[in-house]
Amino acid sequence: MTDLYLHAMFALGGGLGAVLRHWLALRVTHDLPYSTLIVNVFGSLLLGLWIGYLGGSAEMGEEEKRLVFGFCGGFTTFSSFAYQSLQLHRERTIYFAAGNILISLVLCWFALWLGLMLMR
Amino acid sequence: MPDETLVRAGSTAVSKTAPAYGHRALMYSAVFVGGAAGSLLRELFSLEIPGAPFLTATFGINVVACFVLGWLYAIRNRVHAHVLHIGAVGFCGGLSTFSSFVAELERLAETGNWVVIIAVSAEIAAGLAAAVLGEALGRHQSKETLE
Repeated sequence: MTDLYLHAMFALGGGLGAVLRHWLALRVTHDLPYSTLIVNVFGSLLLGLWIGYLGGSAEMGEEEKRLVFGFCGGFTTFSSFAYQSLQLHRERTIYFAAGNILISLVLCWFALWLGLMLMR
Repeated sequence: MPDETLVRAGSTAVSKTAPAYGHRALMYSAVFVGGAAGSLLRELFSLEIPGAPFLTATFGINVVACFVLGWLYAIRNRVHAHVLHIGAVGFCGGLSTFSSFVAELERLAETGNWVVIIAVSAEIAAGLAAAVLGEALGRHQSKETLE
């Protein structure tokens, strides 16, 4: 029962993350895939903050942990990122695709690191 | 039904605004259901493979999600918008993750620079290849039904 409850919390977080991601995607309308970038950067920041927070002395229930981990995973996306990189290569140039990959990696990594540092 | 306005270069892979889709609540419900299912599946598979430091579940799951997204994109004109919202936006997005991906890279960075470079290249190359393969499958299926 408790296991089921914890899985449900993770799924709830993931579902909410997906809804928020889509909500943002419908509003950030630009030819370049900015909405995916924004989502991935903020999701990585949140995950960094959360891991850093849990690594400290914070007492946190398992369900809250799962909820936020689920949210981060549902909010961020690797599949859209990969597909959009492919599309950038096809419809623009390979530099757009490479740029998307590099910028996403650098910004998300920095965001995660920043989150960890802020909570240290 | 989805049309070309749903799919523009570089924008979110499937939907922008769906004119014929009607109720926004229904669309978000579809995304929620897909996202929850994708997340659940990812959680159930999140076990590390021993002895392979970067062959984690996140790696495999991201690649699978890329394949499914490529496939759905290729058949987008033949399926209902519900399917795209549940499958592409919700499920693939919920299944794949960028935050865990960079978190794993951060952890790998402690073991050495080369390991990270190899892991990043492998994962991105595998993701792109999977998307291309998924697309090829979808196109092949579309062609079969036309003949």
